[in-house]
Amino acid sequence: MKRPGWLDIIRIAVLTAAFVFVLFPIAWVALASFKTPTQMSEPFLLMFSPTGENWRAVLESGIFAAAGRSALVGVLTVSISLVVGSMGAYAIAKYRAGGSLTRFGMLAAQVVPPAVMVFPFLTMAHALRMTDTLVPVIFAHLSFVLPLVTWFLIGFFEAVPSSLEEQARVDGFSRWQAFRLVVLPQVYPGIGAAAIFGFTLSWNDLFYGLILAPGNAAILPVAISNFNTFRGVQIGAMSAAIMIAIVPVVVASFFIQRRLVQGISGGAVKY
Amino acid sequence: MASVTFSGVSKSFGSTTVVSDLDLELADGAMTVLVGPSGCGKTTSLRMLAGLEQVSEGTIRIGDRDVTDLEPKERDIAMVFQNYALYPHLSVRENIAFPLRASKVARSEALKRADAIAESLGLGSMLSRKPKDLSGGQQQRVAIGRAIIREPAVFLFDEPLSNLDTKLRVETRTELLRMQRRLGVTTLYVTHDQEEAMTLSDRIVVMRDGRVAQVGPPEEVYRRPADTFVATFMGSPKMNLIDGAVSGGELRTPSGLRITVGGPDAALVTVGIRPDDLSIRPAADGTAKVELVELLGPRAIVTVQAGEHRLTSVVGSAELADIRPGVSVELQSRPREVHRFDPKSGVRLSE
Repeated sequence: MKRPGWLDIIRIAVLTAAFVFVLFPIAWVALASFKTPTQMSEPFLLMFSPTGENWRAVLESGIFAAAGRSALVGVLTVSISLVVGSMGAYAIAKYRAGGSLTRFGMLAAQVVPPAVMVFPFLTMAHALRMTDTLVPVIFAHLSFVLPLVTWFLIGFFEAVPSSLEEQARVDGFSRWQAFRLVVLPQVYPGIGAAAIFGFTLSWNDLFYGLILAPGNAAILPVAISNFNTFRGVQIGAMSAAIMIAIVPVVVASFFIQRRLVQGISGGAVKY
Repeated sequence: MASVTFSGVSKSFGSTTVVSDLDLELADGAMTVLVGPSGCGKTTSLRMLAGLEQVSEGTIRIGDRDVTDLEPKERDIAMVFQNYALYPHLSVRENIAFPLRASKVARSEALKRADAIAESLGLGSMLSRKPKDLSGGQQQRVAIGRAIIREPAVFLFDEPLSNLDTKLRVETRTELLRMQRRLGVTTLYVTHDQEEAMTLSDRIVVMRDGRVAQVGPPEEVYRRPADTFVATFMGSPKMNLIDGAVSGGELRTPSGLRITVGGPDAALVTVGIRPDDLSIRPAADGTAKVELVELLGPRAIVTVQAGEHRLTSVVGSAELADIRPGVSVELQSRPREVHRFDPKSGVRLSE
């Protein structure tokens, strides 16, 4: 083995710094979740006798019910996005549906601030007597998950040679069967990545949940924000709740990071 | 089993006409080869028969059924694409059995038939492999297996051999021909390779710029090409074409080249001589000079320069001893094998 050169040393130093930078808040929150309110005022206190008090408070606060609601919202949002988005992405990839502006126009929706979108959602939910239910939250989440999932899948569909679909049609299948039995299986990796990607987006959203379902139907981020009470911020309990929220995201990112890059660059190279 | 009829079929993309007024009949059980340079409309014609391209004008019939506006799945055809289009997510066995999923054949029965076909194609030991783990030749055989399992009325081949290496191409060509003869299924085969067209076909259709240039059995297309395009397209090395006047059985060009060609006198004519029918002999007062000798084993292709003409001749190894680049030669043709074309239109002149 050759001796590491200067470049290697710099690279390792930069990566270590980045690692510490990313890990620091997580470690801080993890430590805080085991501290008593007094210890909380000493952020650099590393050695202390941990308390289970925060975790007990969090578990009793119904955090898992909120996590369950968040998961339900995420799963439903992603399922609808995948069914609609895969067909949309296919049409855009193969038939240039909507012309060349579609791809860009779809992402333009992301530029609109959620604050602009939330009021119409609230008005509609109110008119349908659905405030403080998960239904408006799911629709609100679809407004940003569906375009991203669709956009993400376009590159994957473009990579499927059209002769595969033509072969299936000649082999005796309808267009729909050719899509479902032949084209779709080719993009399963993309669909898997899009699912995790979309779920993470939905899981992390606080804003829509806070306004559309602040009470009994609170989703996880809303439940976390509820530890900011009129008696002050319960940092310990909040930290424990945050740990519950980030674990699934960290696990998911670990699985998708490579596909995520592939999907994003797959779409990006085209334009 | 069925014949196929194209009547007055045209295809345009916007203002570009790719195929115009195609009239063609594929005889029941015969192998018809569409051949022509790229962009001549041969693949489009095949895809129209498959139902993958809409017909702009005219009708296509399979047997007595008008299939012009039918979906591909209703046409009872099978097709082998140039890139084979094997389903990457399915194994060899599932790929071959796949078309049966569209019909009401039970899964176990379908797999049994797929196994039998794979066995007959020499794929018996690789049934559970995925396409990416197969060689080009094996992939090609899987594609053929998938085409024959449904016993369709018509086979379509779109340059199926062009992705194989030369040796495999010749072997597969023979196999393909044997299979087509055994099954007796009407076949339309598209290629740009004139040699493939000659060896495989019962009937050749030479296309050029979206039109049929000539239709006929291969030996007729070769012996009596309808015009200078077909004459130079079919046959390798390609036919020599020389413009000049014929008198007393000798062709003279303005640049002074002389070749014995026989036949009646003509003021201005395009004479076509296949390299095999043009012999050269060293002569001090010859009108041509040897430029290049390409050895092909027992024979050689000799290129000679004569005025503004560059002609080729196929020479046997016995005569090759005296023929070296730079040597002056005399040209002579076998008069019965000389073709004459109208110098303006390029159309063959009747003998």
